[in-house]
Amino acid sequence: MTEEKLKIGIPKGSLQEYTLKIFKSAGFDINVPEREYLLKIDDPEIDCFLLRPQEIPRYIEKGKLDLGISGDDWILETKAKIVEVCDLKYAKRKIKKVRWVLAVPEDSKIKSVKDLQGKTISTEAVNLVKDYLRKNRVKAKVEFSWGTTEVKPPRFADAIVDITETEATLKAHNLKILDTILVSSTKLITNRKAWQDKWKKEKIKDLALLLQGAVKGEEVVNLMMHIPGRKLKRILKALPGLKSPTIKKITGENWYDVTTSCKERATRELIPKLKRMGCEGIVEWPAVKLVP
Amino acid sequence: MKKINRLLKFGFPWEYLREGAVELFKKAGYEVEIDELSYRIEIDDPEIECITSKVEELAPLVEKGIIDIGITEKAFILDSKAKVIELADLNYGYKIWKSAKIVLAVPENSKIKSVKDLEGKKIATWVPKIAEDYLRKHKVKAEIEFTNLPAEPKCPILVDGVIEFVNTGRALRRFRLKIIDVLMETSPWLIANEQSFQDRWKREKIENLAILLKGARLAQEYAGLMLHASNEMMEEVLKVLPTLKKPTVTQLRGENWFDVLTVANKKEIRDIIPKLKKIGCTDIIEFPLNKVVI
Repeated sequence: MTEEKLKIGIPKGSLQEYTLKIFKSAGFDINVPEREYLLKIDDPEIDCFLLRPQEIPRYIEKGKLDLGISGDDWILETKAKIVEVCDLKYAKRKIKKVRWVLAVPEDSKIKSVKDLQGKTISTEAVNLVKDYLRKNRVKAKVEFSWGTTEVKPPRFADAIVDITETEATLKAHNLKILDTILVSSTKLITNRKAWQDKWKKEKIKDLALLLQGAVKGEEVVNLMMHIPGRKLKRILKALPGLKSPTIKKITGENWYDVTTSCKERATRELIPKLKRMGCEGIVEWPAVKLVP
Repeated sequence: MKKINRLLKFGFPWEYLREGAVELFKKAGYEVEIDELSYRIEIDDPEIECITSKVEELAPLVEKGIIDIGITEKAFILDSKAKVIELADLNYGYKIWKSAKIVLAVPENSKIKSVKDLEGKKIATWVPKIAEDYLRKHKVKAEIEFTNLPAEPKCPILVDGVIEFVNTGRALRRFRLKIIDVLMETSPWLIANEQSFQDRWKREKIENLAILLKGARLAQEYAGLMLHASNEMMEEVLKVLPTLKKPTVTQLRGENWFDVLTVANKKEIRDIIPKLKKIGCTDIIEFPLNKVVI
C-alpha cells in the first residue's frame, strides 16, 4: 500500500474563502480549525496547509509542497520556478481582478513613471516594482513595506505600488493611480518533481479537472422549459446552449420539453424573452461542476 | 453619435425588507454589493441604478417618479395613499417567509374589548392613515399618535392600544398585549411608477425584472425532484406528483425503467417523497432551484 500523499498549499487571506468554496464544489470538504495551519480534508491522500499566498510559490519550488493556489503576482515576485497547471479564473464580479497599481498623492508632481527618478517607492512586492522600473529605465529606491502601504506617502515614500480591487482604500488616502503594473489571476501550480512523479501527476490532473469544473460551474445554470410545438423552431434559435439542448416530445401533446444549460449572466435576458415567446414552466437550477 | 444611456431607478428598502430583496436579486442572477456605511447598494447592471430608501417613504417616491420601480410593504402603499402600479406580491416576511398582519392590540387586562371601546382613547401606530380610515369606518373618535418605533412598549403607559405589524406575535406576547381585531394582511410588493410604465424601454425593463424577481421568489418555495420508476409504477407516480409542471419522463436505456424529472412545492415534497418510496421508486434526488417561471 502506498503511503504517498499530495501536499497542497491553500492561500490564507483574500483568496481563502473562494478557494475553499471551489474545493467544496469540486467535492472536497475542507475544515479550517482555528489557529491551525494543517487543514482537515476528507481525502486521505491529501494534506492541506493554510499559508500566506506570498509563501506558497517558494514552498512549491523547494518541494515542501506539491501543489498550491497562488496569484501571478506572488509567482512573479518570488521568481519561484514552478509549473503552472491551470488558471482558476473567476468571472463573477464579486472577486474582482486584482490589480497592482502605481499611485501617488493627488497633489504630487509625479505625473508618470518617468518622474519617479531618484524617488522612494514603498511596496510589498519589491521585485515586481524593480522589474517595472527597469523596463521603464527609471532608477528609484524601492522600499519593502510590511503592510498598510497606502498610509506611507507623502511622509515615508513618494509613491506606492499596491494591490487594489475597488480603489476605495486609495481614494480614502487621497492617492491617484498613475499606472497598472500587473493584473493578477489565480493559478494552480506545482513543481517539476511532482509533475514527473506518475502518481502525483495523475492526482494533480484529476484535481485540476474538478477544480476547473467547479470554477466553470459557478457561472453556469441549468434550464428546463416546456415549448409549444408550433413555436419550437423559433424559440430554439434564442437558446445560446453550451451544448445542444435536450429535446423531448411530451407524449400525446404538441408540447416539447427542453433542457439546456447556459451562463447565469445570460438568464436575465433569456428568461423574460422565453416567457414572452410562449415558453411555460421555466425552471432554473444551479450547476456545481461543468466539465467540457 | 452619442448613445443615450437608459437608466432604470430601483428603490431598495433599507431596513427589515432589505435582506429578502437582496436575496431575490442574487437568485435572479445579479451580483449585489452593499455598502453599510454610506447606505448604498450596487448591482452589476449598468442600466439599473439602486436607490435606497426608508420602507415607508418608498411608495411616495415611486408615485413622484423619483424611483421607477421598487419594493415596499403593502401597508405603506395604502398608508401613503400613493398611486402606483402594483406589479407583484413578493410575499416574503421578516426572517420568516410569511406575510404579516396589521392588528389592533390592547393590554391583556384592558377593558377595551372591541374597536367601539376606543372612543376617546389614544392609540399609537406606524400607519396613521390606515388607523384613521379604520376608526372612521367604525365611527369611532380616538387620538392617533404616530411612531416609527415599535409601538408595543408604549402600551399601556402612554397609549391605550396599538395598531401594529404582527409577524410571529412575539413582541405582543412580550408586552402582554392581545389582538382584538385584524385590519389587513400585508407583505412586500413590487411596485412601479405609472409614467415609467408608459415609456416603452422602461416598461420592458420593469416587466423583465418582475419576471425574474417573481421567478426567484417562487423558486424559494419549490425544489427539483428526480427519481427512477418502473413502467408499472408510472401511473401511480404521476398521480402523486404535483401538476405545476408536466414531469419530464425519459426511458432508461435497455430497461423497463424511467427517469422522471419535475418540480414541487417544498412543503408538498415532505409528503411526496415517502409516498414515492412506498410505490417503489428509487434514486430519489431533491435539488435546489434558482428560478421558477410558470
